[in-house]
Amino acid sequence: MKKFEQFIYNLLGSGVKQWTVIGLTILALIGSIMMLPTKIVLAKMLPGKSANTFSIYVNAPTGSSIEETKKIGECVVSFLQKEKEVTDAEVYLGQGAPLDYAGLVKGSTFKNSENVAEIVVNLTDKHEREEPSFMIVHRLRPIIKANCEALKKDTVIQMVEQPAGPPTLAAVVAEIYGKNYEQTYQLSQKVATVLKNTKGLVDIDIMADDPYEKYELIPNPDKISRSGLSVEQVNKILYLAFEGMVVAHKNSRNYPDQIGLFVRLSDTTRRLKDHSKEALKSKLAALKLMNKKGMLVPMSEVVTIREVKASPTIMQKELRRMISVTAETDLVSQVYPLLDARSAIMKNFSKKYKIETTDYLFNLRFTDRKTGEVFDLKWDGEMKVTLDTFRDLGAAFIAALVLIFLLLVIYYKNFTISAIILAGSFLSIIGVIVGHWVADMVTTYTFFLTATSLIGFIALMGISSRNSLLLIDFAKALMLEKGFEKRHAIAVATATRAKPIMLTAIAIILGSALLASDPIFGGLGVALISGTVAAVIVSLIFIPVLMYRAKAMNPQVLEELENV
Amino acid sequence: MEEKKGYQPKDIAGKLAKYFLHNPLTPILGIFLLIIGYVSLEVMPREEDPQISVAGGTIIVPMPGASPREIENIIVNPLERKIREIKGVEHIYGIAMDNVGVVNVMYYIGEDRERANLNLYDKVMQNMDLLPKGTMNPLVKPFDVDIDIPIMAITFYKKEGSVLKDTELFRIVREIQQELSQIENVSKTQIKGGRKEQYNIQVDLGKLSGYHLSLGQIVQAIKALAVDVPDVKGRTKDGQLVIFGVKNAIESIRDVENLIVAQYMGSPIYLKNVARVTAGSDIQNFKSVEISEHKKEGFTPLKPAMTLTLGKLAGTNAVTIADAIKAKMESYRPMLAKEGVGYAITRDYGKRANDAVNELVDHILITIVIISIMLVFFLGWKESLIVTFTVPAILAITLFIAYLTGQTINRITLFAFLLSLGLLVDAAIIVIENIHRHLHSHDAVDKSMDEIMVEATDEIGAPTNIATLAIILTMVPMAFVGGMMGQFMKPIPANVPVALVASLIVAYIFTPYLGLKLLKKPHFHHHKHHKKSEAKEGGVQ
Repeated sequence: MKKFEQFIYNLLGSGVKQWTVIGLTILALIGSIMMLPTKIVLAKMLPGKSANTFSIYVNAPTGSSIEETKKIGECVVSFLQKEKEVTDAEVYLGQGAPLDYAGLVKGSTFKNSENVAEIVVNLTDKHEREEPSFMIVHRLRPIIKANCEALKKDTVIQMVEQPAGPPTLAAVVAEIYGKNYEQTYQLSQKVATVLKNTKGLVDIDIMADDPYEKYELIPNPDKISRSGLSVEQVNKILYLAFEGMVVAHKNSRNYPDQIGLFVRLSDTTRRLKDHSKEALKSKLAALKLMNKKGMLVPMSEVVTIREVKASPTIMQKELRRMISVTAETDLVSQVYPLLDARSAIMKNFSKKYKIETTDYLFNLRFTDRKTGEVFDLKWDGEMKVTLDTFRDLGAAFIAALVLIFLLLVIYYKNFTISAIILAGSFLSIIGVIVGHWVADMVTTYTFFLTATSLIGFIALMGISSRNSLLLIDFAKALMLEKGFEKRHAIAVATATRAKPIMLTAIAIILGSALLASDPIFGGLGVALISGTVAAVIVSLIFIPVLMYRAKAMNPQVLEELENV
Repeated sequence: MEEKKGYQPKDIAGKLAKYFLHNPLTPILGIFLLIIGYVSLEVMPREEDPQISVAGGTIIVPMPGASPREIENIIVNPLERKIREIKGVEHIYGIAMDNVGVVNVMYYIGEDRERANLNLYDKVMQNMDLLPKGTMNPLVKPFDVDIDIPIMAITFYKKEGSVLKDTELFRIVREIQQELSQIENVSKTQIKGGRKEQYNIQVDLGKLSGYHLSLGQIVQAIKALAVDVPDVKGRTKDGQLVIFGVKNAIESIRDVENLIVAQYMGSPIYLKNVARVTAGSDIQNFKSVEISEHKKEGFTPLKPAMTLTLGKLAGTNAVTIADAIKAKMESYRPMLAKEGVGYAITRDYGKRANDAVNELVDHILITIVIISIMLVFFLGWKESLIVTFTVPAILAITLFIAYLTGQTINRITLFAFLLSLGLLVDAAIIVIENIHRHLHSHDAVDKSMDEIMVEATDEIGAPTNIATLAIILTMVPMAFVGGMMGQFMKPIPANVPVALVASLIVAYIFTPYLGLKLLKKPHFHHHKHHKKSEAKEGGVQ
């Protein structure tokens, strides 16, 4: 302790040494902050969470039959069955799996068509297996996609992990707004292509119906009325014959639900020979309607068949037509691929469109150079939540700074002393960023600067201001009550407070050590540990220098302040 | 600051220390705190993720026969314009499909759910008259996260060699659903992949034309047969009631088979002549569930299954509900085995919640042990013991207040505790360190133990208060973080400040009290036995 006191005493004696300390501190601050734009430390909202379950969504192209979807599902399960850590897998065909947080925002509840399936995969307990679930997903994704998406063209298979925080539609969502549906769809396909070529993005899906062919039966009202039939009858019989209908019910005493009486053509006579207009026409010729006079009229006589494109489902958001393109990230942060994709879009599309940037969040506006049509691209999903959260936390941080400053001014009745404390606590950011850099180097996965790291940093501000506070108070007491001269008082105060400062720092470091290993709160743990180390160094070396240089710390000034 | 006789505390810290130093209630208060903390930990509902209150809903307007463009123009657009009139709506999503228009409404996170739902319903109902002709009644479905997300899923399947029909399995699962719904706090239950019993009448197109019949005739004939009429009340002449009813003509599948659909060349044509009539399951339902399990000998092939999902009421304990469900399922095992039905629990949030909570509690305990060991080396085992006692006391107060304010124990609340753990020992460490320093200083000989305790506590009171207040201030703005993430993090600004205030109070009350009981003045006759005091001495001179 004596040595340390001597060290501080000497330090305060030499102007060169003091400036070296200040210079080094500023250098460290700039250096560490530069780690963010240079991507040495990567930011992400929340890291992956190792869970005991994940889901796989199968989206076959619109118009696929349940049999086709089932084949894809079986293909996926065949790969899951090779995994030793999988305990069971459930395939939910034509519907969503039991709702979970991810499914809640990904529209699982609304799934009700033959071209979708969800597969729930349960794994062994995460403590008993070495591979975290996100690594299993990372490993399986290329294998499953390569083999099973090939079964039917345009199938998209998505691997859905349990969200670590609040769920979002997808990691990256590009919403494309436009009046004309076809044009918007084309643009969204182009955006999807760009996303597919962006490193780090996977599972790209356009959330719109794929265009498919259908046959339209146009009833001929003239013929219908002359045959003594009605259009309603034609519609009804057509539906009844091929889809079938529950025409009546029977209540049952020993069965918990009503029993329906379901009428449909038999399987052998219902199925068409092949996917062609002729096959449909010959089937309709065999299907006969009875008119009022009791005569049978073939269906094909009263309708004409036309091949048309199916009209797609129209999506709107905030009253505007919109198609969204979603993409997931594979072990990387969504921030950087998004920026890459954005610059690729700006480069590739500039020939056809005039591109402007709009309001918030890297949003873009395209104006067609020929037609003058306007399209908007807005980013949503986890990306938006990340930016919103970081923005809000940033604002919270600034608010915290202001509040602490005001509190200190009330306590010390002096701006300089308050500013010293505040500067000291802000400097813990050096430790936070460097800590993440070190953590990233020692771990096998990328260690992201996350929202929890920011929370840790905000908490640190308070902790390091406590160190400086106790220091200043002690030095003040020594000067005013024991009559020490300034340099001596600061050196003694620093040496005396060094022990409790170290003790509380060690307590925080040890208390956060277990946090650091947690996938989600790891960022917080690392921020607290490394930030505390930085805070200790700052408050034991940098703060005394500032205190010594500050006129407000002169005994005379302090005396005056005491009497205010 | 230092007075020789009868030290008068200036700060709240010293006052608290002085008041409780000889108070007989102090130890009782300590024990009481620990007890209420433990009770809170046991009775507080546990869940994995915190409840996020999301207000919003879905409006579904069916209009048979309309194309997406038509739906967009006449249903979705006008409806969206009306929804715009509601305050607090953040997003409106419109979906125009064949035959149906859907509008999803999302309120800002944190809007009052009850009122938001009511407003939505009101808006739709007020504008019923604006709906175009030909639409069916609109459905308004508010989403309710707590009820909609099931905490358990049980998947039932037929064991190998079982001859059970799909509809039989469905009947068994339905009965189990009914019984599990009786468990306290179980809310929404649902069966996925269920196969309803149904009589399937599959008409042969060729035979139909052979007998010169149309599909319409067959439907007419079936409808005519399946009529249910309520009982008829007849009266006798003297006013007595005679009740009689028509029995449903369809008793079994035979009645359907033998239905006469028409006469052909004088002889009756039965339904079974033109159609295959079977008592089976709903063949038009394309939804199904399949399961593959990892058994010792490898994976079973995919086999048809049914999944029963169970939700819980908001604010109830996922762990106890899951345990009750599992216990009940265990009691069905012999019955299910007899029928040849196996089951697998394919989701268990109760277990996940309990694991997450227990893991974090373990972390907290380990951390306390590590910190106390560290303190043994730096301050001595008695001092370490004192600090170690304060931690559970602080956590107990925080837990109890969290319980009173209706919070649940979840990942984030415990995370808030872990976060505050490093901070809340600080106050106690600072106090005990100062007591330690005062005890080992030279003037200690002239002062009474009481005086030292109170003075040492009082001395660091003011800066510690301000510093703690500063940390609390850093937490407060976090309460204003918006969106889902803000809701998710809410337990941090809600609990950390409480823990910090508790840490101050506990440090001021119990540290000097325990210090008085456990610590002694060192013998100062043989000097220089302690490095620390030596250093301090050197500095002051």
